[in-house]
Amino acid sequence: MVAPVTGDEATLARLMRAAQAGDRRAYTALLEEVARWLRRYFRRRIAPERIDDLVQDVLVSLHTKRATYDPARAFFPWLAAIARYRWLDHLRADYRGRTSELREDSAAEDSDEDVVIARVSLDRLFEKLPPTQAEVIELVRIEGCSIAEASERTGQSQSLVKVNIHRGLKKLSALVEKAN
Amino acid sequence: MNTPDMRSLIDELAEDSAPVLPMRKGRGLGQALAAFVVTVAVVLVLLGVRAGLMEGEFSAFFVVTNLLLLLLGIACTLAVVAMASPRVGAEHDGPRWAMVMAAVIPVAGVVALAGHAGPVPYHWDEPLCVLFGLIAAVIAGSVQFRWLKHGAPVSPERAGLLLGTGAGALGTVAYGLSCPFNSVIHLGLWHAAPVIVAALVGRFVLARFLRW
Repeated sequence: MVAPVTGDEATLARLMRAAQAGDRRAYTALLEEVARWLRRYFRRRIAPERIDDLVQDVLVSLHTKRATYDPARAFFPWLAAIARYRWLDHLRADYRGRTSELREDSAAEDSDEDVVIARVSLDRLFEKLPPTQAEVIELVRIEGCSIAEASERTGQSQSLVKVNIHRGLKKLSALVEKAN
Repeated sequence: MNTPDMRSLIDELAEDSAPVLPMRKGRGLGQALAAFVVTVAVVLVLLGVRAGLMEGEFSAFFVVTNLLLLLLGIACTLAVVAMASPRVGAEHDGPRWAMVMAAVIPVAGVVALAGHAGPVPYHWDEPLCVLFGLIAAVIAGSVQFRWLKHGAPVSPERAGLLLGTGAGALGTVAYGLSCPFNSVIHLGLWHAAPVIVAALVGRFVLARFLRW
């Protein structure tokens, strides 16, 4: 019987080590907790209807790359690096559909782990971008605005919006492990 | 609360929870070191050791070149092995400084070439250093490529660049033990070229195979 899991660093690192050793129960408990953590992690950084897809992609990546977790190191920075990598994949994906307005996820509750999330958060990545690039990425790739709408709202020409999205995503790719 | 879809995915993944061997840094570095030793052995067996190496008959620039390239190779190898296990907070800045230092080699070669009075000394087999350096780089870098391929590099372009640079540097050092030339012009041009070529191949070709 696996004890109820709390999503703290030590517990998840222990579960991950057990999962690498083939402990199925520990792995199930880990994946459940990671899925919850990821939903909070991606909150407001991806359209709400896309969160499940993204979380599932990260879980599959975690599974296929679970050998890359070094048991001597902390768990959350490893998970966050994989989460950021997959999140950027989703931002790069052609995304033209309009999304509903981003909203607070009422199911998510704040906890002590917010400190951890803050340290490895996606906001830290955006802080490294010039405001002009961060603004258009948020509008077009996260909120689902068209290029024309983003151009109108930011005052940037449409071609500049495209260039700034391209440059911003390229820069984010190089920063996945940084911005701690 | 996890949705039914999520629940189902978690169950499927857990079903496949076979034990895995964690990719510890020490194991990766051990493999990279073994590959370098094999590279040196292959070079010495097939091409032989350069005349006078054991007797200390080589130029100071020969020593500087190979030490700088070795340093570059080590710095890149450390970064490549670490990049297979990503984590937010990792810097991998060592290779940058090693690259700046190693840039002294081609700069010295170009300066020496520009300042050379009279016809530039040239031997027909000098360009072969590029070829042999690259072949040695393939041997030295193949293990690192495999390590990265199994790993989860989150900056494939950078990982490819460092893989190519490091393999090129280590391959050139290994081949350097056999190369008979001592001049600044030769070492600065023909021993820097394989590193640059390997770096470009790593950045623009190998990086594509490192995406996951």
